[in-house]
Amino acid sequence: MINLLRAEWRKVTTIKLGWAMLLGAMALAALGVVAQIASNGVPRSAALPLTSAVTQKSIAASASTAYLFSIVVGIILITTEFRHFTSRPTFLIEPRRGLVIVAKILVAALVGIIYGVVCAALTAAIMIPWFAAKGITIGWINYGVLQSLISDIIVIAIFAVVGVGVGVLVRNQIAAVIGALVYLFVLEPLVNIIPVIQNVYPYLPGAAAAAITGATRGAGTSHLDALQGGLVLLGWGLLFAACGWILTIRRDIP
Amino acid sequence: MGADTPGCEGLSSEPPRVEGRIVASGLTKVFGAIKAVDGLSFTVEPGSVTGFLGPNGAGKTTTLRMILGLAAPTSGTGTISGLTYAHLPAPGRTVGAVLEATSFHPGRSARNHLRVFCAAAGLPDRRADEVLELVGLAQAARFPVHGFSLGMRQRLGLATALLGNPSVLLLDEPANGLDPEGIAWLRGLLRHFADVDGRTVLISSHVLSEVEQTVDRVVIIARGRLIYEGTLTDLEGASAGVVVRTPTPDQLAAALAPLNVKVTARPDGAVAVVGATPDAVGHVAWQAHVELHELRAGSSSLEETFLRLTADPGDPPAPGA
Repeated sequence: MINLLRAEWRKVTTIKLGWAMLLGAMALAALGVVAQIASNGVPRSAALPLTSAVTQKSIAASASTAYLFSIVVGIILITTEFRHFTSRPTFLIEPRRGLVIVAKILVAALVGIIYGVVCAALTAAIMIPWFAAKGITIGWINYGVLQSLISDIIVIAIFAVVGVGVGVLVRNQIAAVIGALVYLFVLEPLVNIIPVIQNVYPYLPGAAAAAITGATRGAGTSHLDALQGGLVLLGWGLLFAACGWILTIRRDIP
Repeated sequence: MGADTPGCEGLSSEPPRVEGRIVASGLTKVFGAIKAVDGLSFTVEPGSVTGFLGPNGAGKTTTLRMILGLAAPTSGTGTISGLTYAHLPAPGRTVGAVLEATSFHPGRSARNHLRVFCAAAGLPDRRADEVLELVGLAQAARFPVHGFSLGMRQRLGLATALLGNPSVLLLDEPANGLDPEGIAWLRGLLRHFADVDGRTVLISSHVLSEVEQTVDRVVIIARGRLIYEGTLTDLEGASAGVVVRTPTPDQLAAALAPLNVKVTARPDGAVAVVGATPDAVGHVAWQAHVELHELRAGSSSLEETFLRLTADPGDPPAPGA
């Protein structure tokens, strides 16, 4: 298993894409933080002042949007094997396919954690001097800012695992990436506005992620609390991981 | 095929367990309505280079994928050393295989590609540099694969297969894209593996001439079925034969009967005699007072025989049988 983990780790670090996606994640996280702080207090801004707990938490939570990049990395980790047929030497050297997919999921989780830690640290690195310059104290513990940063990491890591599952289900790399983004940007928000199925919305992955970080998402949306959201998102991660594991064992390797 | 789904027993009961022997036994693969491989059985022995031949789409790669555990057979089994691939202990160190020269991430360097699989197989990283040296890619080791020519990709594929110093090699179209010098080099390497090391070497090709100087034995398939299995020498003998033109072919056939030869009518009106020299046929005809208008050695090349064997739909007779 250690051998497989080392091999999977090398696969991520020896191509440029893993690093490019990390830069993308950092850019997206930074953009959210900067936009929220900079726009705060401008005329007709609906946001509460920077001194409020809600706003501070919301700023800290915005880094979680980097999950868009971690799900793509998870998808690419597996689909690139089928696209470039490195799946062949991979499964020739280790025909116990279940072990390979477990190693891949663990490495995806590790990559997701790294992405999350980097994005959370970047958020803090932007917030601390900016708030200090404005003379505002950050409520790390009492406002729950630290909790929001930790939940960013959890969300980003779980989405990397979900990505591996999506990539096993849809082996075509382009289709899997586009499908995942269309789902998160279009389909899931659509569910939220269709009355009949609105009730399931809080249990969908994107909404669960929002619940964990406490980010507001869509007016009038009923959210789960952070712990419930965490359990729901973890459930999605496990479901996709299990699907990936079973399908990899059952299907032929191209 | 996974860790927890051993399915049928890994031990093949039929042929005795021989280290390094590859056995296909009734291998069948159905894709929808198409039988890609149809009840295919053959044996590949250690210490020889066997050519696995057939036209494009004959089912060669599918057969190799089934033997290598990448595709599950619809029925039948493929074994190496008497075990299905999934049951081989440390397959990364006993079997080396290349399925087409395309199994690389284009952005990864040759060396990093090999180091990924060194890690997976539990081999030391220096093994990557050793095989790069062996296949003549040491200079290109640190360049990304997307700049590699087809010949270089073939060499890198072979390097991947050789990482674990395997005793069994299965190579799909290894000569494809190699220049003549590269083909000569590959021939020397594979002959060394078989003759000196006693390894099992199976190489597929859709062109007989590409491998005819490398292989001892051939397994020829077409439309997923076995057409011929045996030595290249036997196939050569069968392709030669004797071409005879006579107004009384029945009389000639009767006269030749004691020689235990095979007499068949050719589409051009002549008769092909397999299993005797032109001298012997001429002598028998003279003794039996059979009028001959033409008597010559068949000029059919191995390649022609191969094309004839694999091209005709229906059931062409196996030569040399």
